[in-house]
Amino acid sequence: MTARPAILFRLALRNLGRELRRSSLTAAAMVWGLALLIVSRTLSDGAHEDWIDSGVRLATGHIVFNAPGHRTSESLEDHLTGEQTAAALAAVRALELPEAALASVRVSTRGLASSPDGAIPVAIHGVEAGAELAFSRLGADVLEGRYLEAGDRLHAFIGQALALRLGLRTGSRMVLTAQSAAGEIEGQLVRVVGTFRTGLAELDESVVHIPLQTAREWLGVEGATTISTLLPHSSFTARALEELRARVAPGEIEITPWEESTPELHSAVRLDDGGDWVFHLILFAIVAMAILTAVFMSVLNRKRELGLLRALGLSGRETGWVVFIEGLMLTAAAGLIGIGVGFALVWIFFRNGLDLTGLMPQDFTFGGIVFDPVMYPVIEARHLLQSLFFTAVIGISASIYPAWQAAALDPADSVKVE
Amino acid sequence: MSTTSTPRPTSTSPPAAPVAVRTEALWKIYPQEPQPVEAVRGVDLVVERGAFLAMAGPSGSGKTTVLNLLGGLTRATRGRIRIEDREITELPDRELARVRMHRIGFIFQSYNLLPVLTARENAEFTLLLQGVSAAERKRRVHELFAEIGLEGMENRFPPKLSGGQQQRVAVARAVLGNPALVLADEPTANLDSATAEALLDVMQRLNRTMGTTFVFSTHDPRVMERAERVIRLVDGRIERVDVPGA
Repeated sequence: MTARPAILFRLALRNLGRELRRSSLTAAAMVWGLALLIVSRTLSDGAHEDWIDSGVRLATGHIVFNAPGHRTSESLEDHLTGEQTAAALAAVRALELPEAALASVRVSTRGLASSPDGAIPVAIHGVEAGAELAFSRLGADVLEGRYLEAGDRLHAFIGQALALRLGLRTGSRMVLTAQSAAGEIEGQLVRVVGTFRTGLAELDESVVHIPLQTAREWLGVEGATTISTLLPHSSFTARALEELRARVAPGEIEITPWEESTPELHSAVRLDDGGDWVFHLILFAIVAMAILTAVFMSVLNRKRELGLLRALGLSGRETGWVVFIEGLMLTAAAGLIGIGVGFALVWIFFRNGLDLTGLMPQDFTFGGIVFDPVMYPVIEARHLLQSLFFTAVIGISASIYPAWQAAALDPADSVKVE
Repeated sequence: MSTTSTPRPTSTSPPAAPVAVRTEALWKIYPQEPQPVEAVRGVDLVVERGAFLAMAGPSGSGKTTVLNLLGGLTRATRGRIRIEDREITELPDRELARVRMHRIGFIFQSYNLLPVLTARENAEFTLLLQGVSAAERKRRVHELFAEIGLEGMENRFPPKLSGGQQQRVAVARAVLGNPALVLADEPTANLDSATAEALLDVMQRLNRTMGTTFVFSTHDPRVMERAERVIRLVDGRIERVDVPGA
């Protein structure tokens, strides 16, 4: 630019001001586009985090420790020793995160639950009552009775559907049968202290929680089959995984992130994220078309003026800059307002959430997740910056073509346009 | 109008004064279908500094095209153009823009003011591009506006000015940068008779007081009467040069 940029900026600014109605309409398209993008992005991030949180809490956490081979064999022979369990717990406690990570030590196996009414295959989890209550929140879904407590020994907390099928109630007794670490079939009599209902049939029909110590003694496992770790947020997974792998002896303990331990959950999130991107691309395209049309029309309408600028001493490139700066200013102004409007809407949803109760049946489940019909936004800086970056790129890109057209105008033809 | 005529000259008489613009064998051919249009055909022209010269001819004779070629708004197909001592025929776009900024002023038939700028801002636009200081711009605009009857109009936007006032602002813009050459394309065509006379008075006075070179493209006999020479163009060629009053 040889002419002083201030002149070009002044011309661009006044041109926008002159076509205030058109500029405002274009800006409005951008403002609502960006605001919608921010709201949609934060709500979808909030929903995804909610899915991940509820999914990993009911499964094996954000990161899970196993003995090598246990994830495929599911055999009690492949369990973590007491020392390995202690080392893994120490590593979790040493994680440098904004909030402490939770860890739940479990001895899990498959077995049979029997009552006078019949026998059903079940997933048996020996758990520490206090830690598990904070972790899985099954205790929050108590339908009858209570969750396990410290000091419980021969007690069980079971799904409501399982209780119904076996004709059990709080206080009823049932027999659990499973293969021990030594390979023997062992039975254990337990008394039901409570039942839960999550809405997920596979959990409600088959999960049995018993005290960890009971499971260890019954099944002959000294340490644990899994240590599930819950992080403050799923976005810490990669970082925490790296730290844990660095701290715990590799090869002796297998450490797996939730994306691998619960692949169906990961797929559900990715699928939904893909859908969001398609929606966002459509939004981007609408915003781009709005800017392109408005700026391009203004070039066509001002052909004579742009030709005049050439006659007065601006080069083609500088004339193009005037138009490009108009597009930039429009993008910047609409971008700032759009961010303001977007965050104002997000703030409303922060307080009240977006209630979709009317749009989905109660206990709607997919991919091992129970969906909460009330969505709350989560601001993920990475996604927000991506949205702003793409909006800026689109605003700039949509201004390039009209600017190029302005730069390529024939000044002699343009000045005679009536 | 009293004139003397030369039979179909191909150039004006060689001037004694320094040259403002010179063309040699200038051609402009528009590549149109089915046949290319030869808008300007071998024009040799010499305009001395301080001239007040008109180009006349029927519509389509090439007047505006010659003006556009002289002003670097369009490029010649063949031939050469020199503005003072500078050959502009092959200059790249950016250099040509600088030549227009520093050496050429334009006045158009339809005023062509920038509607987003005030009268003062329009007039000083070229000075602004040239990097002239704000104080100097203000001084020059103030003096010239006083001289051409635009005092008090400085802060009006073009739509708030009459046609004659807008054209005077355009004249001010054209001459304020002290160009070697002012090219005026039918400047009086949209003005009533009295306003046109007043505008011509202004331009003639500026020609005399500031020594600004004016080249008009016109059909207007009032412009031709005031011109020192009238170049008659027919079908893209100089047919003859008339000297009014001679």
